[in-house]
Amino acid sequence: MTTVQLFITCLIDSFYPQTGEAVVSILRRISLDVDFPRAQTCCGQPLFNAGLRAEARPVAEHTIRVFEKTSGDIVIPSGSCAHMIKHGYPELFRDDPLWLTRAQRMASRVYEFTEYLVDKLGVTDLGAHWEGKITYHPSCHTLRGMNIDRQPRALLAHVQGAQLVELPHAEECCGFGGIFSVEHPELSAEWLKRKITNLEATDSPTLVVTEAGCLLHIAGGLHRQRKKQRVVHIAEILANQEGRDR
Amino acid sequence: MNSNRFRQRIRQSLANEILQIALDANAERRLKGRAAAFASLPDWRERRHQAHILRADVIEHLEDYLQQFISNAQRNGIVVHRASDANEAIEIILEITKSTTQNSQSGESTARKILIAKSKSMVSEEINLNHALERENFRVVETDLGEYIVQLRRERPAHIITPAVHLRRQEVGQLFHEKLGVPYTEDIAELTQIARRILREIFLSADVGISGVNFGIAETGGICIVTNEGNGRMVTTLPPLHIALMGMERLVRNFEDLAILLSLLPRSATGQKLTVYTQIIHKPLPHQQRHLVLLDNGRTRLRNSPLKESLYCIRCGACLNACPVFREIGGHAYNSVYPGPIGSVISAGLFGSEFVPLAQASSLCGACKEACPVEIDLPKLLTRVRAGQSPLPNRQSSKTGLSRFSVFFLRTYSRFARSPRLFALSQTFAWLITRLLSPRSEWIRLPAFTGWGYSKDFPRFAGKTFRARFHQRGGGRGERGELREGGELRKRRELEERGELGEGEVSQPFRDKEKREQFIEELAKLNGHVIRTRANELTDKVIEFLRSRGINRIHLEPNVLNESLLQKAGITFSREAEAALRVGVTKALCGLADTGSVLEADGEGNKLHASLLPEIHIVILHTSDILPSLLDALPRTLGTKSAVFITGPSRTSDIEMSLTIGVHGPGELYVFLVDD
Repeated sequence: MTTVQLFITCLIDSFYPQTGEAVVSILRRISLDVDFPRAQTCCGQPLFNAGLRAEARPVAEHTIRVFEKTSGDIVIPSGSCAHMIKHGYPELFRDDPLWLTRAQRMASRVYEFTEYLVDKLGVTDLGAHWEGKITYHPSCHTLRGMNIDRQPRALLAHVQGAQLVELPHAEECCGFGGIFSVEHPELSAEWLKRKITNLEATDSPTLVVTEAGCLLHIAGGLHRQRKKQRVVHIAEILANQEGRDR
Repeated sequence: MNSNRFRQRIRQSLANEILQIALDANAERRLKGRAAAFASLPDWRERRHQAHILRADVIEHLEDYLQQFISNAQRNGIVVHRASDANEAIEIILEITKSTTQNSQSGESTARKILIAKSKSMVSEEINLNHALERENFRVVETDLGEYIVQLRRERPAHIITPAVHLRRQEVGQLFHEKLGVPYTEDIAELTQIARRILREIFLSADVGISGVNFGIAETGGICIVTNEGNGRMVTTLPPLHIALMGMERLVRNFEDLAILLSLLPRSATGQKLTVYTQIIHKPLPHQQRHLVLLDNGRTRLRNSPLKESLYCIRCGACLNACPVFREIGGHAYNSVYPGPIGSVISAGLFGSEFVPLAQASSLCGACKEACPVEIDLPKLLTRVRAGQSPLPNRQSSKTGLSRFSVFFLRTYSRFARSPRLFALSQTFAWLITRLLSPRSEWIRLPAFTGWGYSKDFPRFAGKTFRARFHQRGGGRGERGELREGGELRKRRELEERGELGEGEVSQPFRDKEKREQFIEELAKLNGHVIRTRANELTDKVIEFLRSRGINRIHLEPNVLNESLLQKAGITFSREAEAALRVGVTKALCGLADTGSVLEADGEGNKLHASLLPEIHIVILHTSDILPSLLDALPRTLGTKSAVFITGPSRTSDIEMSLTIGVHGPGELYVFLVDD
């Protein structure tokens, strides 16, 4: 059986372990072995994006070392972390040929979760079931950074019972942006407000994302505003099967 | 500007309701306009990529292309100057202006101030030229409607394409009432007419015209300037002295490159297929001096830095319109001549490290990169500025432009994240802390000063992390699974591929009839009119038109109409511009089918004036002279001193993005299309 390496990302690890479990159950359902290299921590994106490259480097090096000890495809349930490894690492190590080669070797094994299912495995119907309206927020790094959009949409289109409605101005950023949401709270708040208004316009109780960063941010905003809508990572929708409680 | 001052300006912008309404309207209309314009360019992705490559080549070999450009321009009779910084550029411009105007004004009274008419130039903003000219007691008048408005308000432009984007019509009405002494009106067409009337006097009496430059063409030594209102044509045609200001990086190699960039620039900037007046200037006009000032002012420094790619920019403003930050705060909050994503990259390199914090005001959402017509990787460049890779020495305590608290937090995080043991320990610690802070709820309400707490709640850390759960359940052996083939998806993808192939098919060679129909259709979209005629009926049809409008004197290019027929019909004509003339009649060098444009150039009977100064411009165009597109026509500009592709009547959207026809150039354009 094929074995895939799971890079779960620091946010899912620390805040949303159930999302990680959903990812594992889906991968197993399609007959894959899932390996979780225990020494993994964080890809270094928050540091790199902030401009702290000297601080990002050891974290990135650590990640490369951990996954160099493994073989096979690396699956990441986050567009922005996959983007960091595929596009951020080559930038971070651009003046260091030795590390650049190692980074590129790792990058060539990396797939965002929905990209892996649809493009690499050719799977779109996972037998998932979800009752009611859902709407999809394409995260910036998934949509524009990784050019991944039809993959999650194809997967969601095959979810039994779910009615996928279009989110107005879906392509707009939710205002997370890592340290940006703390450094520029006023700007972040404006975009978040707009995202929530657009979500309300869909009348959908569930917003689906591919990115734990957006989840943390939008869910936090919804809770502050005492709204009832839920933000759910796509893996949790896809892992849900008929007859099972969610 | 440190990060606190910047945050203050952000808060001011957010609290300004008028600004918010204006910026939302700008973003929505510009994004829609751009999307619609690109729909007519099916191969735009390839073009964009090509544009990136050709800009990269120019910047890579910049000095070689500059030498080629300069020697060709000088051979054409343009006087070229190079300025290493703002002060040098200002000295050169003052020197040219003083020596030229002293000679021509020696007989006149010295009491009159030297009058300078300016069309839009961001480089002139960059070197703060108006201030320097006014200090020398020159009178400087901005003639682009938006620039004129911000000059009257003594402000800087709020956008590189739409300078008055931050204002609504009521404010413009009030401003005109106060500064120009006209009755208050908030009718945009009326406001535009007021500006036309006042600025017309300026154009006709100006001693000097100053303009920017969109592109220099290395292979021919020509310069390309695009404007919609016609002011660019005025200042480069009417005053006896024209000074063009150009950033030294704004070069293209040849007409092929120019055609690609001109297919992208207007679409990206204003949602047009081609700007109304696309000028290709190669030589000075008779009795005119033409100077060109090439400005470095930090560009060489940028070129030798990791921010080199930012020099590919063609200043279309698309990244500003796409940027969610610009949409909230507008141009003034950046406190730099160049706002928005591109401004946040180049300001620190051109003007100093105090602009580094601008680069932190981005979620790196990538909307700017997606909008860029030359594919500049703006998010990557923003992270380079944050990483202290701007070329100017750093005078700030925080090189990243972040607050001290954020830096401390991230540094601590970095220590933990490079060790799995410490990382797991910190997760447990974080869970404990958040649990203590919020024992009953899954959520913590953080105070506003933390940044996060300003608009959202924070979740508790998970008691049992994913890593703990995964290993507790023991490894990752899969159960018997069912792998479903994505057959349908594959089929769909195949269809998509086939569909794309269909789109990319090479179209059949244009026949005259098709070109004619396309030309008529495109011009109609732009509020231009086509009147079809046979060659032997042309003059009669023009007479018929003139009678219907009650016109009996026109500005006429020689050898275009049957002049004895005109005289018999009681219509007189002039070869000179006269203020009272409402109609100018010229013959076009050629037409462009895909944009509905006509090519005009200098020639006998002051024909350049005839196509510019009157309210109505009548163009005679032969069907056989309609060419498929811009690239086919560009070589025809080579024999001319100053040529212009005219695409519809003069227009502006400078007040509230509202389209207004008829600014400085003719408000009506009639093409008499002669079937051969």
